[in-house]
Amino acid sequence: MTKKGSDTIIERFRSITENPQEYAKSLQGKGHLLAGYMCTHVPEEILYAAGIVPVRILSSHVSQAMTRSYIHETYCSFSHDCAYQGLAHHYDFLDLIVTSSSCIHMGEAFNVWVRFAGFQGKSFLIPYPHIIETKPAATFMVESFGEFKRFLETFVKKSITEDDLERAIKVYNHTRRLLKRLWEILKRENPPITGPEVATVTLASQMMDKQECNSLIEQLIQRLEAQPGKGPSGVRLMVTGGACDDLGMFDLIEHLNDNASLIFIDSCTATRYFWFEVPEGRPDKLQAIAEGYISRIPCPAKDNVPGTGEKKRFRFIQQFIEEFKPDGVVFLYQRFCSPQPMDVVALKPTLDKLGIPSTELELDTTLPITQFRTQLEALVEIIKGVTP
Amino acid sequence: MPYSLTTWNEFKNYQNTRYRNYLYASEGLRCMGSTWSVLAPLKGLGEDVYIIGGEPHAASTAGTFPEESREDISAAETGGLGFHSCSYLKLFVGEVIRDRIAIPNKTIKEGYPRPDVIWTTHLCSQHSKWYQEVSRRMGGIPMYPIDMIGGGNAEKDPKIVNYVSDQVEEGIRWLERVTGREFSDELFIKAVRNEIKVLVLWGNICALNRHAPAPLDERRLIALFPPAVVDRTTDEAVQLYEALLQEVRHMVETGQSVVPDQRYRIVYFGIAHTYGHPEMARILRDAGAEIVASVYTFGTCGNFRGIVNGKWSWEPLDPRWVDELDLSTRRKTITELVKIALGWPTWQGVRSYWALEEMARAMVAEYKADGLLLAPSRSCETDFRNGYIAMQRIFKNEIPTVEYDSDQVDVRKMDLPGAQRKTELFVHLMEAHKRRSA
Amino acid sequence: MNNGKILAGLDAGHVNSKAIIMRGQEILGYGNVPTGFDVVAGAETALKNALENAGVARGELAGIVATGIFRDMIKVPPLNVRRTVPDYVADAKGALFLNKNSRTVIDIGGNIHKAVHYDQNGNLLDVIQNDKCADGLGIFYTTMAKTLGVSEQELSELALQSTKHVSVAIHCAASAESEAIDLMCQGVDIADVTDAISRFIAERVAAMCTTMPLEKEIVVAGGLAKSKALMKHLPGLLKQDVSVLNLPEYVGAVGAAMSYEGGK
Repeated sequence: MTKKGSDTIIERFRSITENPQEYAKSLQGKGHLLAGYMCTHVPEEILYAAGIVPVRILSSHVSQAMTRSYIHETYCSFSHDCAYQGLAHHYDFLDLIVTSSSCIHMGEAFNVWVRFAGFQGKSFLIPYPHIIETKPAATFMVESFGEFKRFLETFVKKSITEDDLERAIKVYNHTRRLLKRLWEILKRENPPITGPEVATVTLASQMMDKQECNSLIEQLIQRLEAQPGKGPSGVRLMVTGGACDDLGMFDLIEHLNDNASLIFIDSCTATRYFWFEVPEGRPDKLQAIAEGYISRIPCPAKDNVPGTGEKKRFRFIQQFIEEFKPDGVVFLYQRFCSPQPMDVVALKPTLDKLGIPSTELELDTTLPITQFRTQLEALVEIIKGVTP
Repeated sequence: MPYSLTTWNEFKNYQNTRYRNYLYASEGLRCMGSTWSVLAPLKGLGEDVYIIGGEPHAASTAGTFPEESREDISAAETGGLGFHSCSYLKLFVGEVIRDRIAIPNKTIKEGYPRPDVIWTTHLCSQHSKWYQEVSRRMGGIPMYPIDMIGGGNAEKDPKIVNYVSDQVEEGIRWLERVTGREFSDELFIKAVRNEIKVLVLWGNICALNRHAPAPLDERRLIALFPPAVVDRTTDEAVQLYEALLQEVRHMVETGQSVVPDQRYRIVYFGIAHTYGHPEMARILRDAGAEIVASVYTFGTCGNFRGIVNGKWSWEPLDPRWVDELDLSTRRKTITELVKIALGWPTWQGVRSYWALEEMARAMVAEYKADGLLLAPSRSCETDFRNGYIAMQRIFKNEIPTVEYDSDQVDVRKMDLPGAQRKTELFVHLMEAHKRRSA
Repeated sequence: MNNGKILAGLDAGHVNSKAIIMRGQEILGYGNVPTGFDVVAGAETALKNALENAGVARGELAGIVATGIFRDMIKVPPLNVRRTVPDYVADAKGALFLNKNSRTVIDIGGNIHKAVHYDQNGNLLDVIQNDKCADGLGIFYTTMAKTLGVSEQELSELALQSTKHVSVAIHCAASAESEAIDLMCQGVDIADVTDAISRFIAERVAAMCTTMPLEKEIVVAGGLAKSKALMKHLPGLLKQDVSVLNLPEYVGAVGAAMSYEGGK
């Protein structure tokens, strides 16, 4: 690749997010088997060790009503849009689809693919704990992952060795470390990359062959280290919430009337995807994978620590607030999501105590740009009013 | 001549007593949580354990105090809970916010009695978060949520049974630590046998509706299963359901029914139907259409044979089998209890579309249905809502099928005129179908 | 069937009240007025207009049959409706009368839309009606026309000039309306916005229809069937050919009149 700066590389990532099927087919063209996954609780390492490239299924971004005769209206747009991908045959070329039992809306999107979109014989549902912070959950995960591994061995007609798993773990951990480094650049006052650009890279990574992804991110970071900042940060805004694969939302945050900078996103389409590591070099690889996935920033659908009833995600959020120093927080989640608002009501008092103003935006397939802009600009006004 | 159940008042009294005990006990242990959890472990803590369950409490409050319920839901929304959140949860949390509680014997008490522990489960993606919110508002209550996982044939999967059993076992140790009480295996085993027995008995009672005329209608079924939901661990609960089973068997033998005029038999998939929906009940009643089988009333607190060779069977289990269960150790007892809970149609159907479809197919066949009525709740992401729209698509070709949106307790979310229209349409389609088949 | 009697069919809908005057198989006249808040007055005015249009005196009517959402409310004097039939029954009979080869009618009304499947005699086979979130498509269309400062016909004509595909929120009419306005504020071409509005309606209707098999010939009825922009999208979404009935908004009223002698 010729040295044209970081923008070229970011464009490559953006192009993948805009043409995910094209990219996935190119992988198939190189001889890869492909597995679509709908939830980041799927242990991708096991797929990768089997020689299958996991590609995340995200929204179609098409405003359509077709899925309303398959799934109830009051399920989130994201689940409807992902279901639509299957019904519209956008991913018929996939060799397999996989999900882990998690939120019910996404479970139903998966069911639509299996029942009505032709994936009955090429699908796997991984039973995954809903209460994570327990010893029994860890044991159960290992057993469940073991069943998944055996299924894949039958599927690909070869054994998945411990070495295969260790290699996959290392590749994925490398991705995680690289992405973390990228996000940490946003801690700076004058970073050479914007939040929306980092979000683009992260989103693309979920659909990519990780070795290729790692190589690109390494090149990107190298270029960024040599580049000047893009300008001083404006009002620093952090997003926390659910899946948002509409990059236009993040562009909007950085194109308000007042200068605002997106400096962190806590969601499964951003940092929750990778902000952990799987222990390397362990004798029991599935155990290691389980341990790693348990240590993730919890999804609100699975966040309840037995005994205290604590929401463990809040510890992470406070840590991110300390490290990334947002001036304000944007709660961003899908309309009709059930676990997210339950967290919002509990998190707001914490933000109040930290003196951090917030606003809430509900996502749909289409973005009501003007309304969102108004709310975001109001938040920025409030921040400018309260910040000394 | 419609039959009048003789056991009716005992059922009402039982339910009321449980609630009064929770509200007014001057000592003992107050436990709160979903009654979709296994309840018997709580009873291992002593004979002075009083339970309040989120779902039955919200349901009965909404039925008894519609205005109060509206205030509770508004208070929850004003307090920050989302409009789209579960309405049971909002009603329940709303009571905590307003610090006042209403129970079905028409009592409204100022001052919400604080639970000592929360023992619950995580059925949907916000289920145990319900109690996180209650705990937060009450200054922090120790809570233990059990992940039942669920899914088709779950009770036959050793991995799942062990997982849930391990949690219950750990949960019992936690209960001891948190309450400071010594756990009595004797009390526990007795409670487990009662819990399983009630579930099996209820299954037997529901299965009698396969007869024509069906002895019980949905209105009675809804009113008769709450004791099983509220507290199914007591000797009294067992006696109630044994007596009811005898009575309903007698009704079948003598060809009697609470609603003798049954021209159309309906299978219903949805939350408690006539509850809060008297207009729909009237439309059906006028046409002689009765709900004879309902996955919610049958499957929330009842056990059946379940998946047999890949197909669902609503055949009940023999209650005598419960007496023969080997409950000689704590672990064995936990395992049997967990297996029965995992065998509930609700736990299976919520997390497994194919189990839900098999249940519907079997129910339509076994109960000889003339129509399938689907009423997903707009406030409940489970209540099988996740399968109902797809079920409409699948069954519409096979049997008159109509879907209307409802809500478990939030009247604002019910489109009553629309639901009435669709119920009328449903009757019309069944009539047309019957004429064609004649 | 009606032996030369002059009959009136009344369709008392949420938004409009329609009346038709028939003698045997012949349509003599019709009338359509806004229902307003006085349902009886709305039905009475529709009937009066239809009679005038037909050149028939009130006393010549042998009977009136009512259908529509408010059919039971208009049974009272002075209308003295002879009998009422559910709207889906009337739709089946009316559609069959207007197109003998039809077997499915998709009726897109002010508040409710439905698809009705019937046999060669107009007997009901199956019906699917919209879910709650999809209520009010006709009302939405009318409101959007007013908001945009155009007539409903102009809205359709503008939509046909669209050159760019934009979308509005699909969950419900309230969201769609809000986003349509948002798009206008952003300077999106009115033609593209009106096309998005038309497509929104077509998508909601099509999604409902796929729940049951649609037997050919498929016809479309209701006031919104007159929107060419909407009808441009519907066949593609259904992946089926459809045709718009003559007098599409009167299908229910016709079916009601056809039901005078009874039969379901």
